[in-house]
Amino acid sequence: MVGQILDGVRILDFTWMLAGPYTTRILADFGAEVIKIQSEKTAKGAESNLSAYFNAWNRNKRSITLNLSHPEAREIVLKLVSISDIVIENFSPRVMSNWGLNYEALSKVRPDLIMVSISAMGQTGPWKDFVAFGQTIQALSGMTFLSSFTKDSPSGLGYAYADVISGLYGAIAVLAGLQYRDQTGEGQYIDLSELEALCTLLGPTLMDLSVHHQEILPKGNRSDDLMAAPYGCYRCLGEDRWCVIAVFNEDQWENFCQVMGNPDWTQEERFSTIAKRKDHSEELDAFIGQWTIQRRAEEVVFLLQGNGIPSGIVQDARDLAKDPQLIERGYFLSLRHPVLGEMISDAQPIRFKNHSTAHWKAAPLLGQDNRYVFRELLGLSEEEWSFYIERGVIQ
Amino acid sequence: MKDPFEKRERISKGGEKSLLQNLRILDLADEKASFCSKLLADMGANVVKIERPGGDPSRRIGPFIGNSFNPEKSLFFHYHNTNKRGITLNIEHPMGREIFLRLVKQTDVVVETFPPGFLKGLQLDFEILNEANPKLILLSVTGFGQSGPKKDAPSCDLVASAYGGQMYISGSPSTPPLKPYGEQSYYTASLFGAIGILLALRKREQTGRGDQIDISLQESVLSSFAHVMIRYFHEKIITQRQGSLYGDYSFFILPCKNGYLLMAPFQQWEMLVEWMESEGMAEDLKEMKWQEETYRIRNFKHLFEILKRWTETHTVEELFEIGQLMRFPWAPIYSPKQVLENPQLKERKFFIDVDHPEIETSIQYPGPPYRLSSISLPRWRRAPLIGEDNRAIYQGELGLSDEEMKRLSSLNVI
Repeated sequence: MVGQILDGVRILDFTWMLAGPYTTRILADFGAEVIKIQSEKTAKGAESNLSAYFNAWNRNKRSITLNLSHPEAREIVLKLVSISDIVIENFSPRVMSNWGLNYEALSKVRPDLIMVSISAMGQTGPWKDFVAFGQTIQALSGMTFLSSFTKDSPSGLGYAYADVISGLYGAIAVLAGLQYRDQTGEGQYIDLSELEALCTLLGPTLMDLSVHHQEILPKGNRSDDLMAAPYGCYRCLGEDRWCVIAVFNEDQWENFCQVMGNPDWTQEERFSTIAKRKDHSEELDAFIGQWTIQRRAEEVVFLLQGNGIPSGIVQDARDLAKDPQLIERGYFLSLRHPVLGEMISDAQPIRFKNHSTAHWKAAPLLGQDNRYVFRELLGLSEEEWSFYIERGVIQ
Repeated sequence: MKDPFEKRERISKGGEKSLLQNLRILDLADEKASFCSKLLADMGANVVKIERPGGDPSRRIGPFIGNSFNPEKSLFFHYHNTNKRGITLNIEHPMGREIFLRLVKQTDVVVETFPPGFLKGLQLDFEILNEANPKLILLSVTGFGQSGPKKDAPSCDLVASAYGGQMYISGSPSTPPLKPYGEQSYYTASLFGAIGILLALRKREQTGRGDQIDISLQESVLSSFAHVMIRYFHEKIITQRQGSLYGDYSFFILPCKNGYLLMAPFQQWEMLVEWMESEGMAEDLKEMKWQEETYRIRNFKHLFEILKRWTETHTVEELFEIGQLMRFPWAPIYSPKQVLENPQLKERKFFIDVDHPEIETSIQYPGPPYRLSSISLPRWRRAPLIGEDNRAIYQGELGLSDEEMKRLSSLNVI
């Protein structure tokens, strides 16, 4: 068995919910030893080791139990930090400090420590203590407002996008920090703000506003910024079936007209250039919709892709589960969990030429690695170990 | 408690270290992945953008400074190419190919977004690049990845969003599926790509060899939303679009006097009802049965109406501020203008001014979302104009003569 990329990198993982665990999942998938700190009190709901969600975000990690509100837990954490490369947490900003476990304290026992704190607003500023989940961040970033059909019907995205984006930035932060440490020997504390992370994904729009001071309104699937027409989502035959079509140049437009059988309307002056088609997109979309509604999405997309026109089926969960492209690339895989049984999971979308998931394991049971971590890694004696268990420090 | 950032300026006066100071990247990417090397350039990597003569096609994407098309005034291009240097080079021309191979020998990473097989057609596929530079890391970002029955299908953000499952679950039952605003699939693919590059660098330390990384826009989209496939595989539920009622009703959007508020009505239920009661607006929500979450979900419409009558008597700011004091995870639905005015972002100096000497002004850019304890941000450079660094790189670094430069230029190689 070939070694994994992050073999020998040890991560002490205080994260919970989604953003933090998403970061440590990526690192664990590539071989880092991720030790997740849990407690009986917090292992509930989405953090219950037997929930499908927990299993998805915590595969390939180890689990230990430590009651962090117990005063004697701190010295164990410090010992763990001294043998770890990285600490990650995504609590509200004051939590780690309240336990005496901020970067200043931790870097005393491990001077080249890399610590990443992911929080909603960042560790500083007037809003640092605000409570927020992914949807809250999306609302504050402008993403919810802009991802809507009109400003008076805000809808936004149907999922916690901000958490995943922050998780991805978290992984970049850890790996860039490691790169820097390898070259200079220095550690780093990295303060990552979820709100800022999401705002980076609206860059051109925020710049547009600051340059031109003109209000920017939501437009559904339309885009003022792309030279493309048609560009949109069209209803197809069947219940709630849809396709998307994007035409970026005149060659594609001619092919598209041909696929539709060159109906008379395609010859009209108002549809003769991309700019004109953009100006008349409502009428254009109505004509195209009349063509797509008579056909299955699969048929429309087959015809268009065969003629070099970007198009796609709006896939729901069932379509995705049987998508031949995803299946052939091994996007879904199965991991055996000791209690839950075979669990289907998503692979890493980061693929190396010689990609292997042979070492992958399902998520850990609560505290399943206590003995290994406390006895073998930390070298606690049998007496110390039972002492901490009796006192309720290790649960 | 001591603030680890207290001594640090957001932007350095110059000459400071950066996280990725010794990393060299050649960026052949169009809009699908130009954000990837931007992320690394913003961390200090030395990135050279290679555009075809005349400029990269992503310069045609708006918005434009002054609101009319100009390939050197695309804010889209500017945002995605900060801190890079830029050269023009036609790698399809045999002489351009030779120059590219010389550049490849001096780089760590190449990022590209051509259709699968395009580089092979030019005899510039990974095997050949790897021969020129065994330590080279090649990142390829395409619509569907380098393999599989759809690998050659044309794609774009709209197509990736549809195929990746993002659109089906956004929007409301009465609207078509909704694509997230902006070119989000390019961002997620770029974030995954940047992680891939940093992992490959580490792997290279162990093996001495580079590697090829294959990123699919479709898979990047699918990997960016949490619960949809988990619910399908484990509960056989096909997630539907529900407008602003998210997931299991844990969040929804209600109108106020002067805007819209995102609420989480199931958290701290009793506190919420008490608050409404103190204003005489709780109606029947005091009744015991409402304490059951399942009852609230079943009678959601009624609950929604009562909450709406209450929120409409308040401004968004009142409910946001008081709500946050009571630790409700609520927020106003901010427009971009309100984002620019956000006091939290201002205090943290999230937006940074970048000089644009070519138009004698500076423009406010979103900065990176992180603060580092021992490194300040380098002063940002705006994206290159078309071929802006040709002379510095071809003459200064590759040592081409004036004659060679002229000849290459007349052949439209640079």
